[in-house]
Amino acid sequence: MNVAKKFWIPICVAAISASVPLLTKSEYFINLLVMLFLYVILSQSWNLQGGINGQISLGHSAFFGIGALITRMLWMSKIPILLAIIGGGLSSILLAGVVGIPCLRMKRGYFPIGTLGLAIIAQITVGNILPVPGSLPSEYIVGYSLSSRYYLALFVAILSILVAYFVVRSRTGWALVAIRDDEEAAEAVGIKTFRFKVKALLISSFIAGLGGGVFAYHQVSYYYQSPFELSWSFLPTLTTFIGGLGTILGPILGSVCFLALNELFAFTLGEIHLVIFGFTFIMIVLFFPGGLMSIPHRFESSSAMRRIWGKRSRSIP
Amino acid sequence: MWQTLVFGILNGALYGMIALGIALVFGIMKYLNVAHGSLIIVGAYGSLFLFRWGVDPFATIPVILVALFLGGAILFLSLFKRLIQFPEETKIKNSLLIGFGLMLVLDNLATFLWTGDERSITPSYSGITFQIFGLRLPLIGLSGGFLALLLISFLHLFLSRTYFGKAVRAVSQDHEAASLTGIDVSRTFLISFAISVGLAAIPSVLIGLQSFSPTAGIQWFNKGIIVVMLSGIGNIYGVFPAGLFLGIIEALSVFLFGAAYREVTGLVVFVLILILFPKGILGSRAD
Repeated sequence: MNVAKKFWIPICVAAISASVPLLTKSEYFINLLVMLFLYVILSQSWNLQGGINGQISLGHSAFFGIGALITRMLWMSKIPILLAIIGGGLSSILLAGVVGIPCLRMKRGYFPIGTLGLAIIAQITVGNILPVPGSLPSEYIVGYSLSSRYYLALFVAILSILVAYFVVRSRTGWALVAIRDDEEAAEAVGIKTFRFKVKALLISSFIAGLGGGVFAYHQVSYYYQSPFELSWSFLPTLTTFIGGLGTILGPILGSVCFLALNELFAFTLGEIHLVIFGFTFIMIVLFFPGGLMSIPHRFESSSAMRRIWGKRSRSIP
Repeated sequence: MWQTLVFGILNGALYGMIALGIALVFGIMKYLNVAHGSLIIVGAYGSLFLFRWGVDPFATIPVILVALFLGGAILFLSLFKRLIQFPEETKIKNSLLIGFGLMLVLDNLATFLWTGDERSITPSYSGITFQIFGLRLPLIGLSGGFLALLLISFLHLFLSRTYFGKAVRAVSQDHEAASLTGIDVSRTFLISFAISVGLAAIPSVLIGLQSFSPTAGIQWFNKGIIVVMLSGIGNIYGVFPAGLFLGIIEALSVFLFGAAYREVTGLVVFVLILILFPKGILGSRAD
C-alpha cells in the first residue's frame, strides 16, 4: 500500500503509457512516443554518469551505436529480439570496459573531449567498414508490428528510470555523488573512487546499449553508422542539462521538452529551433545549473511539490 | 610517398594555426572553446561573402580578423567572463559546455543562413601548382605555410617583447600571483580570448579555399585540440611543430591504411596521449 501511495504518479503515467496502443491507432503518435522513450533511455543512462557521477561524457553515441549494431546483427541471424537486445547491452559494456575504463584515467576536465574523440573514432570506423544501409529482410517487414516496438521501448525506458532511481538511493549512489562533488574528499573518506567511476560507466553504457537495441528493433532501414552519429552524444547532454542534472525526473522532462520543441518547430522554423535550443542550453549552464528541475526550488515550493520533484536535485558545482 | 608527405606538412601548418588559437585560450585561461571550429567556419563564410563582391580571398584576412576579434570580445564579455573565478577543473568543464551550446547555435545559424551545401572560395589562381624535384606544391598551400610562419613569429614577438605579452605569460603561469602584482587578469583574459578568436581568421580563409560546410567546425576543432594535446598544455611554442607532426602522421596513415582512416589516426593518438601522458608529450614547461 505504502508503495502505491508514494509512487501513484509514476505508476499512473506508466499505466497510461502502456494503454496508448490500445487507445490510438495513430502511427505518428506511437512513433513519436517511441522516440521519446529512446530519448529518456539515453538521457537516464547519460545522467547516471554525467549528472550523478559528474563524468560528463560525449562518447555515448559509441555505446548507443554498438548496442544498435550488435542487436541488429544478432536479430538478423534469427536470435530472438529480447536476447539480441541483451547481447547489445553486453557488447556495450564490453566496449566500455575496453576503451571507456582507460578514459577514466584522464584528468577530469579532459574526459568529455577524450570521449568525444572515441565517439568520432567509432563513427568513422563503422562508416568505413559498413558503409551500407541495413534494411530488414522482407520476412521481418511482413511481421513488423509497431506496438511490440512500443512496448519494448516503454519497458526499457521504465527499466532505465528504475535503475537510475535505485542507484541514486543506494550506497553506490551516495558514493557517486560524493565523487562528483569533491573527488579528493571522497577518496579521503575511504571511497574507492576509481571503482565507483567504473561502476557508473558500466551501468550507464549497458542502458545506452539497450537503448541502441530499441533503436535497431524500431527502425526498418538505417545506415549502420547513423546510431553512431555525434548527435546521439549531444542529445542526452542537452536534455539532461535542460531538465536537471543529477535528478531522476530531469532527464525525462528534458526529453519531453526536446521532443516537443522538435515536433512543433522543426518544420516551421527549420534549423532555428536548434539555435533556440543551443541558446537555452547556454543560459541554463550559466544561470540555472540545476536545469528546469531547480526552478520550483527557487520559488520555495509546497511540500507536495517537493515530493514530486524529489529532494535530490543538487546543482552542479 | 614524398608527395603525400608534402601535402601532410602543408596540412600540418594549417592544423598548427587552428591549434594556436585554441592553445592560447586553453593554456592561459584554461578555457576549452569547443566553438573555435565553428567560429572558423563563420569566418570562412564571411570571406566567401567578400570574395563574391570581388575581393581577393587573401585580402579579406584583415577584415575577417578584425570582425572575429570583436566577435570574440563580445562572446567573452557575454558568456565566458562569468567563469573566471571558478577552479581549473570547473572552468574547463563549464567553458566546454558553453562552447558546445555556442557551437550548436553557430552551426545551425550558418545552416539556416547559407544552407547545408558544401562551399568553397575559388579564385582564378586556386589550381596553380609548382613543380620542384618532381613534387607538386600548390600555391595556396604554400602561401598557407608562409602565413603560418608569419603568424607564429608575430605571436612569438607579441608574447616575448610586449608588456601585454609578459602579462599574458604571467597570468598563464599563476593567475593569482599575477593579479597580486597588479595585472588586470580579467582584461588580460578578454584580450587573449579576442586574439584567439581573431587568429581564426587565417585558417578560416585557408579552409574557405579548400571547402567547408556549416557543420565542419567540430572536425577542425578536433584537429586543433589534438595538436594542443600533442604539444602540451600551456606550451604555445610547441603548437606549431606539433601541428606539422600531426600532418605528417596523417600523411603516413593515408599511405599505410588508406585515406578513409585519416581522421582516425590523429584521434587515436589523441586519446592515447590523454590516457598515458595527460600533460602532453613534447614536454610542457607549464606547471
